Amino acid sequence: MDNNGITNNEEYQVIKERENKEKKMRKELRDSDARNRAKNFIIAILLATTIFGAYQLNRANTLRRQLDNSYNRAFHELVGYVQNVELMLMKARLASSSEMAAEVLHDVWREASSASSTLTQLPISLGVISNTKKFLTQVSDLSRVIARQSALGMEISEEQEKTLAELHKLSVSLENSLSEMHQDLISGSLKWENVAKEETKEMKEASENMPVTFSNVNSEFEKMPTLIYDGPFSEHMQNRKALGLTGEKVTENQAITNLHKFLGKDRVENVQKLSDNNNGIIDTYNFRVALNGNNKSSNIAEADVSVKGGHVIWFLHNREVGEKTIDVRKAMEIGAEFLKERGFENMKQSYYLNNDGIATINYAYHENGITYYPDLIKVKVALDNGDVVGFEANGYFMNHRDRNLEPPTLTEEEARQLVRKGENIKSSGLAVIPTNYGTELLCYEFKGKLEDRDFIVYINAYTGKEEQVLIIINSEEGILTM
Amino acid sequence: MDKRSMVYILVPLLVLSFVILSSPPSLGQEAGRVSDLQLLARAINGEARGEPYEGQVAVGAVILNRVKSPDFPNTIAGVIYQPGAFTAVADGQINVPIDPKSTVVKAAQDALNGWDPTYGCLYYWNPETATSKWIWSKKVVVKIGKHNFAK
Repeated sequence: MDNNGITNNEEYQVIKERENKEKKMRKELRDSDARNRAKNFIIAILLATTIFGAYQLNRANTLRRQLDNSYNRAFHELVGYVQNVELMLMKARLASSSEMAAEVLHDVWREASSASSTLTQLPISLGVISNTKKFLTQVSDLSRVIARQSALGMEISEEQEKTLAELHKLSVSLENSLSEMHQDLISGSLKWENVAKEETKEMKEASENMPVTFSNVNSEFEKMPTLIYDGPFSEHMQNRKALGLTGEKVTENQAITNLHKFLGKDRVENVQKLSDNNNGIIDTYNFRVALNGNNKSSNIAEADVSVKGGHVIWFLHNREVGEKTIDVRKAMEIGAEFLKERGFENMKQSYYLNNDGIATINYAYHENGITYYPDLIKVKVALDNGDVVGFEANGYFMNHRDRNLEPPTLTEEEARQLVRKGENIKSSGLAVIPTNYGTELLCYEFKGKLEDRDFIVYINAYTGKEEQVLIIINSEEGILTM
Repeated sequence: MDKRSMVYILVPLLVLSFVILSSPPSLGQEAGRVSDLQLLARAINGEARGEPYEGQVAVGAVILNRVKSPDFPNTIAGVIYQPGAFTAVADGQINVPIDPKSTVVKAAQDALNGWDPTYGCLYYWNPETATSKWIWSKKVVVKIGKHNFAK
């Protein structure tokens, strides 16, 4: 028994020890398993991030290359266009016949306008390219004007000849600077990435070894002559005066009083001046107007009142527009009445746009059977309750004046004979229209419809020349009143 | 390596590859023709979302003034996408879809209809965040909201 007991006890101990060992081993095994798992997980994450990083880097490099390629393409094209401009300007100076001059200058126009559009695709900061851009635009603009004149058989004047020579000289220097910059680009000393940062890095005239950059190119054109010619981009178009702005200077308080009167005393809760607008053409006081009403957030309007004369130049009231209750015909009456009450007599609606429950109606000055389109006022009428929610009279104040026009030499019937689709004409009259060159033309105006598209044809009332053909682009929203 | 550890490596890789494959390209998502109104509205949204209404119209007007200026491209898209011209284009804000009923669309419409609170300005900047020194050489015409406007 005893022996047995001892044996049993020993056996028990051995078994227990073995069990303990096994337990320990199993635990160790479990631990190492967990450790392995953690290790694997970290490896996986590292691997994944590496792959992800490599993938992204590769993608970024590919995009960078694509971008550089398109910049390089644009730059090469620019160089090509400028070379052509230089060549054609030289040819234009040599052309003996006006036909040849017209043809060559037509090419200058095209090449220079391509050059200026290509230039703005390059990643060069705005301040650095503006003179060069202006040079190219004006070359293209001027050559178009002279080309048109040559096409009519007119000779190039001495003045124009001189301008062409001047422009040619500038185009040579532009061509040279560009080819230097080209050298730097292909040698790798100038990179597009750095070109884009040019301005912030103050690379301008930093050192002699500096690659040629656009700021050097551009500075050439600071001494560019002021071109005097009739084109939309000529200097005189950019320095216009407000011909229709009458009256003496008014104080801020007087301006506020005028604004109250203009918007209706019971409509205005209070007026607060925000800033002065010193634009040099029509200097104004800029106001924020709180209108009466329950909804505070949508009762804010903004308005400008001119310092000279205290006229309201524009106002805007942006608000939600509810269910439509009035039609456009009614809106046009409201607009006309609004203008009449504020002293704008003889305003005739010509065109309106209808979107998001608001009709924007154009009114032009009309007197003695002539519509003066430059003297334009726009009125916005909300179609839910007929409120006037916007007014803009910049065109009117820039252009309105006594014009003392000569009577037309053509009769309306004679002009009508000159319109190709004469049978489609719905209405007609005399009109003064603005040109791109800041001038005005007295024309017979013929409005009609061709295949559901509204059109207007303008025939010069003195010469019979077809001056303009207009088509209303979006006839679903925009409607011409006939 | 046993099966289980293979699984631990493969699963994240698989997830990652899905993420990469399914991540949308950042540009050019939009199908169909974007009208000038839409493009202008998106530019205003990216540049002047928090501005007063007049400030939004003003930003639209500056873009349109640039189209008419000899110093800038002569299309709306050309002006908006000119490299370095607008931060909203550089950081992709311009691609943020907008609600057709939002104010930026109305502001774009008013700008297209001829409202120009800046009277022909070509530049604007936020004096608090502008980094370009060159822009400060311009004479401020008017201050609307957070932006200075200049010719």
